[in-house]
Amino acid sequence: MIRRLLHYCSPRARRLVIAELACVVIAAVLQGIAFLLLVPLLRSLFTGEVEAASGWLLVVLASAVGYVIASWFASQIGMKAATSVLDSLLERLGESVVSLPVSWYSTDRTGLITGLATQGAMFVSTMPYAILRQILAGFIAPGTVLIGMYAFDWRLALSMTVMVPIIALGYRWLSRGIGRGDRAHSIAVAESSNRVVEFARAQPALRTAGEGSIADRLVSQALDRQHQEYRGLLITGGSAIALFAGLVQLSLTVLLVVGAFLAIGGTVDIATLIALLVLGVRFNEPLVTAGDLGGGVAVARTTIDRLDEFARTARLPEPAEPAEPAGFAVEFRDVTFGYGADPVLRDLSFTAPSGGMTAIVGPSGSGKTTITKLVARFYDPEQGTVLIGGVPVPDLGTAVVEAAVAPVFQDVYLFDDTIVNNVWIGNPDLSRDEVIAAATRARVDEIVARLPGGWDARVGEGGSNLSGGERQRVSIARALLKNAPIVLLDEATSALDIGNEIAIGDAIDQIRADRTLIVVAHRLQTIMTADRIVMLDGDGGIRESGTHAELLASGGAYSRYWRERVDAAGWQLSSTD
Amino acid sequence: MQAPFTRSTPKPPSPEAGVLSSVRGSLAGIVVLSVIGAAGSVVPFIAIVELARALMPAIDGAPVDAARVWLIVSIAIAALIVSVGTAFLSGVVGHFADAEMQHSLRQRIIRHLQRLPLGWFDRRSSGAVRKLVENDVVALHQLVAHSIQDVLTAITVPVISLVYLFIVEWRMALAALVPLVAILLVYPLMMRGAGEKYRQYDQATQALSGATVEFVQGIAVVKRFGQVGRSHRRYSDATREYVRFVGEWTRETAVSFTIVELLASPIVVLAWLLAAAVWLVGNAGVAPVDILPGILLGLGLTAPLMKLGASGQFLRNATKARQSLSEFFGLAPVSAPDRPETPEGHSVALDDVSFGYLDSHRVLEDISLACAPGTVTALVGASGSGKSTLAKLVPRFYDVDEGSMTIGGTDVRRIPSNELYRRVGFVFQDVQLLRASLRDNIRLTRPDATDAEVEAAARAAQIHDRILQFARGYDAVVGEDANLSGGEAQRVTIARSLLADAPILVLDEATAFADPDSEASIQRALSTLAASRTVLVIAHRLHTIVRADQILVLDNGHIVERGTHEELVASDGRFAAMWSDYQRNHARSLPEGAGA
Repeated sequence: MIRRLLHYCSPRARRLVIAELACVVIAAVLQGIAFLLLVPLLRSLFTGEVEAASGWLLVVLASAVGYVIASWFASQIGMKAATSVLDSLLERLGESVVSLPVSWYSTDRTGLITGLATQGAMFVSTMPYAILRQILAGFIAPGTVLIGMYAFDWRLALSMTVMVPIIALGYRWLSRGIGRGDRAHSIAVAESSNRVVEFARAQPALRTAGEGSIADRLVSQALDRQHQEYRGLLITGGSAIALFAGLVQLSLTVLLVVGAFLAIGGTVDIATLIALLVLGVRFNEPLVTAGDLGGGVAVARTTIDRLDEFARTARLPEPAEPAEPAGFAVEFRDVTFGYGADPVLRDLSFTAPSGGMTAIVGPSGSGKTTITKLVARFYDPEQGTVLIGGVPVPDLGTAVVEAAVAPVFQDVYLFDDTIVNNVWIGNPDLSRDEVIAAATRARVDEIVARLPGGWDARVGEGGSNLSGGERQRVSIARALLKNAPIVLLDEATSALDIGNEIAIGDAIDQIRADRTLIVVAHRLQTIMTADRIVMLDGDGGIRESGTHAELLASGGAYSRYWRERVDAAGWQLSSTD
Repeated sequence: MQAPFTRSTPKPPSPEAGVLSSVRGSLAGIVVLSVIGAAGSVVPFIAIVELARALMPAIDGAPVDAARVWLIVSIAIAALIVSVGTAFLSGVVGHFADAEMQHSLRQRIIRHLQRLPLGWFDRRSSGAVRKLVENDVVALHQLVAHSIQDVLTAITVPVISLVYLFIVEWRMALAALVPLVAILLVYPLMMRGAGEKYRQYDQATQALSGATVEFVQGIAVVKRFGQVGRSHRRYSDATREYVRFVGEWTRETAVSFTIVELLASPIVVLAWLLAAAVWLVGNAGVAPVDILPGILLGLGLTAPLMKLGASGQFLRNATKARQSLSEFFGLAPVSAPDRPETPEGHSVALDDVSFGYLDSHRVLEDISLACAPGTVTALVGASGSGKSTLAKLVPRFYDVDEGSMTIGGTDVRRIPSNELYRRVGFVFQDVQLLRASLRDNIRLTRPDATDAEVEAAARAAQIHDRILQFARGYDAVVGEDANLSGGEAQRVTIARSLLADAPILVLDEATAFADPDSEASIQRALSTLAASRTVLVIAHRLHTIVRADQILVLDNGHIVERGTHEELVASDGRFAAMWSDYQRNHARSLPEGAGA
């Protein structure tokens, strides 16, 4: 555990933690020695040798002073170590966030990482002082006492020693039991809180369902399940703790019984025996504390497990020498790819030439967005090759792809900053005027006119002050600014008002002329004016491809699709159909 | 304003009391067991003293009284067993009480969610609910499962020990008191300004959390635009600030904290007690055996106190959690009618209705309208005009502030909830599917529906064929093996509404174009759904409501025009202007020849 923690520490933090633990060990040994000195001191007192007792007292005081000094350093260094470890952990976490592949973020990881940053790191950083210190002291101080006891009476010492492996086994069993119960319990907790959140979200629908609905049943079941797992955890954890406490107390019982036998048999120095009994009852207290803290180590371990997981997450292969693409046409060659189970794309091949717009259409779930993600190298295909300028993407490397591609995806993320700064991200080397000029081309100026504060209006957390269409316009402005040779546009499926539709259409016209533009197209205008349409079949392949005119003329699937879309655009609602 | 004919809901038992009421019996058990356990834990130490007294004469060669020795040893062992046993039992009772409390609190949260006005869910992020069931309920754990035992042990052990010590040898007792008093004196010094610091700590944590959220959520963007450095810098700045604060705080408290810890440490206490003992034996003529209790028990006085101090942070969290739970349970549920009435017919009418989310700002003012059964009423207006709010008054997401909202001539506040929702169905943009089978999702509002009925609804909602594509068909579970697109999920909710067959329907037309690729299917489904019902529709695209029976134009919370499409176009007012704007833009955004 300590070694795994040190692995994530900066050299300074590592030195501090080691120094701290060294002080802790010294203090614990001194504590054990001071307790051992109880025996000669009490023996002197009982036999009336007050002079000798005073001598021993001085030694006790000396070791107490040593203990205070060592503890003082342990605490002072420990505080510094905690801060330093916290710093290292947060820094490592930041590096992980940067280096993890984009695909890893396809499920929402915000809660996980925020939890690690604000709670996990803090817990781990205080662990050496708050937990490890007590556990070390809990074993080392009694250990020292035990070894010392042999000097006074080997039989009592031996009877104590016998208990050591038993207690150690009990401790292992304790930590394991708690860890196992904890895992099952956390799964049930996650399940039930998801159910409760779902239950809250679906309330409008559930009011219609009334009480006792399917949802009520699901949420109650999940809660009962959690309750059961929690009780299970309490039973395994509780009995483990009880067993451990029982074992520790058993050692005291053994001491008393053996002591009584020896005393009655008259084979022991009575003064020593009394002193050893006093020592014996206080000897095990740090051990009990250590037992209580075993769970804390398990909690800290989960944070470190997470960091290990991050480190193990596979990165995409990068070339030693990035190749140079010849042009910026995009080609898919027999590409097969899926997110785990069934492939979304199967043996898909097509070419999107540069200097033109390729529109991808098809039923939902047919892999349209996946195609753009493969071009942007969020993933590499399972089979086949994606090529840019005739070079396989893995030979170009992520950096070259990132530089060549400007994505405008549906989930546009805006920083809680001003509008102009959000566009500026596209190319920080440009001046503010150039940024505003580009943003105006994407008609961001119309949004700006609406907002108090103009270009310096803040967009709110995640861009919450803007509508979906407006956020996409900002994203298009970023892409215009970046001036990348390949633009990927995933058109918004959500409701766009007419103003946004027109603005986005205009922006597309500006982009398409001298770039490779690949659009996941939903708007009729976009589809119709594309230089080339690729229609996916929903089974991972291509059904038809060609220009709008060609495809309409052939009278196939595309022409049916087109007719339906056009009809939909003229739909009217009435209650008298 | 409280309508005169709805009784205010009976005041629930004070939410404060409510949080812990379910475990009151167990709490008494914990108290008794903890006291016995704590008292029992002192006995073995006393037994050692008595053992020493019994053995003392043997030092001078006298025989050992074996029977007495064994009696003392037996008592000590019995006390050990009782003490460990009761302490354990008290922990068990406490933890199981905590489990019961958590379970009953979560169930209570569920029940309360079921009774809150639907409007509450509009504004509340699911994060708030998650915090309640996950964090707040768990934060009470310390209170029930640990604190009572900790406090009682921290009181019982020192009190019993000190009483015994004063009886045996008062000077040694005084000496044993010294570390305790010293800690009690220094402790407040350590805690000075802690409240303020905890507040600052919460702030620093929040700042770090905000920066992390932005860093993680924006990572794809910054990576694609080569701006990782900038975003990373922001995160690093936040962490540096956080670490700086934490470092400063620990530095400030380190000295006093360490002093308290050292004062309480067994070895410092031991050294002090031994010094006192040697002095008392050497200078005050105290019998050596009489200093033993002071050493044995004096060593055990500080530990319970320190444990109590350590649980302070947990207790603070528990108190905060209890507050937030109480606030939640204190939210007023939907008022239930005093004398329930059953509406007659399926008309909808609003009479001089005013409504606002805040007292200070009215979203709707003096709204009057009537929807005859079997007609379509469309609401149009700019965003912020109040059209969505108006539509949500019908299924009682909110209650009107003034005026009345009636269904079949009966005020909605007089209609029992089950009657109301049997009559009013709604399809809004946010899709509410459960992680359950598609079949259960469709028959959510009518659990008794047969498979044939479910299938018929799915067919009418244009989703049947899609469902059959899943390997498990209607048994496929949403979010597990049934991954639906937005439009497909929409159609499942439409199927649900069809099956519910409510005669009054509130719709958001935006639903139809939430997924362009299934737009046509959704439209067909909506047309089926709307047939021969009383429909109130929030319209976004004006051509979809050309055939509506009446169109209401909202502006800034008022109805400014009303009539049929022809009437409004002819009157050349606001709607006519919107229509001509719309037509011009619509023509531009549609390809030539594709217009309606």
